[in-house]
Amino acid sequence: MSDPHSRQADRSWRSTDISSTLAVTGFQLRRMLSRQRLLLAGLGVIFPAAVMLAVRRTVPAGLDRDLAVTMIYALVPEAVCMLGLLVTMCPAVADELERGTWIHVSVRPGGRRALLVGTYLAAVIWTSTVAILAAALAVFVAGVRQPWPLIGMLMVLVVLSSLGRGALFALPAVILPRRALVASVGVALVVEYLAGFIPAVVNQATVSLRLRSLLVSWMNWRRQLPVEMQLLIDPQPAWVQITAVFTLAAVLLVAAVKILEYRQFPPSTEI
Amino acid sequence: MIEVIDLVKHYRASDGSVVRAVDGVSLAVAPGEMVGLLGANGAGKTTTLRVLATLLKPTSGTARVGGCDVQNDPLGARRHLGYVSATTGVPDRLSAREIMRSYGRLHGLSEGLLVQRIDDLVRALGLTDFADRPTGRLSSGQRQRVSLARALIHDPPAIVLDEPTNALDVVGARDLLHLLDSLRSEGRAILLSTHRLHEIEHRCDRFVIIHGGRVVAEGTPAEILRAHASLEAAFFAAIGQTEVPVGVPGMPGERHHA
Repeated sequence: MSDPHSRQADRSWRSTDISSTLAVTGFQLRRMLSRQRLLLAGLGVIFPAAVMLAVRRTVPAGLDRDLAVTMIYALVPEAVCMLGLLVTMCPAVADELERGTWIHVSVRPGGRRALLVGTYLAAVIWTSTVAILAAALAVFVAGVRQPWPLIGMLMVLVVLSSLGRGALFALPAVILPRRALVASVGVALVVEYLAGFIPAVVNQATVSLRLRSLLVSWMNWRRQLPVEMQLLIDPQPAWVQITAVFTLAAVLLVAAVKILEYRQFPPSTEI
Repeated sequence: MIEVIDLVKHYRASDGSVVRAVDGVSLAVAPGEMVGLLGANGAGKTTTLRVLATLLKPTSGTARVGGCDVQNDPLGARRHLGYVSATTGVPDRLSAREIMRSYGRLHGLSEGLLVQRIDDLVRALGLTDFADRPTGRLSSGQRQRVSLARALIHDPPAIVLDEPTNALDVVGARDLLHLLDSLRSEGRAILLSTHRLHEIEHRCDRFVIIHGGRVVAEGTPAEILRAHASLEAAFFAAIGQTEVPVGVPGMPGERHHA
């Protein structure tokens, strides 16, 4: 039996943390490549395009560009990302915590942090990939003029949506692992779609406000918006919106990691 | 190598009351020693093992693995410990090699060392025939072996096993216990909890029996078995019960009601 500790001594904890997190990410991504998940991903890619195709058929003269963009925005960075994260982030973390795998991850150095952040990255990668493909397909099916800049914009919105909302769903997953999915749907409805549309300080901490504001800014729609609609967007520049999403994601993730690190899971037979 | 000194762990139950799951347990396991931790359900075995595995924080007392205190130096304790539980928690879609690789990376093992270590474990634990097969297609005994391989990937000097033979048939349990014998002979400290007393009666170097969160008997097999015909008899005597259940018709302990 050799001494593993001297072997590891020269490896800094920072690099171990990164490799642990990437190990969990790879591990979760491999688990996501199941037949059911791939079928779900296929549906996620096809669904927005199918809706756009159906709508386009009703307008023989061709879809108005702004209307098409609004619909694709609602279908992809909002709906597909939200659903994708709900089926990846919440069940993955909750399963790990409740079904016993977490024990084996938690007894590794930095295991809990790696479990959460690694799973989060896997959920963001999986959801972003599905959503970007869905956005590209929907844009082409809608027959929008100048599709490539639009696809580029939607890619950024998709990644921001996945980063922000993945972190948002991390919290219910660690606080209520047994009800993670239900709690996350509640969080999505209350935080993102109720608080996010209240024109007050509370909506500043929502991803939906930031994404809407970016969309309006990048599409140059601000002047066309009626006054009451302008209350639902933040007029600050794009870098502020992007920084706000990253800050929100970081704060939520740190909170979830801290909760997980301090959380204890006693055996049910001994309480 | 493994030390538990006056360990206390209280939980707050959902009704607000305090449950004393572990109430002053002390034990030690030296390198090259296998110690059996025995107790009924709810006796405090799993809580004790989970404190050692840094999954639970002690209310008071000390627990050390490889000299590292689980509260002050949990990362050090984790580096010295391999943990195996009754629920293997091995993902169905991954093979033994993939699982070992993922967990080896969690310990920061370099790629070269990891490949070497996986090959060594595949040989030592007899995984050769199924190391590349998804674990969902393996028997419970084979899955538990994969779980053991995962626990040993970082070459820990101490191993804690919480009822590892629970889901195994007789053959699977025998094979696993043989593996533990060989790990002990390599100088590892092994702390093992189980309900299957006959499996470990002639295997452990010492036994610790806990009941109601306290150590009620401790010693070598010779010391424990001195006044009893079997480990089971010694166990029941230690926890203050008879081997024959009270109230079973036709049995000596049957209660007669007027």
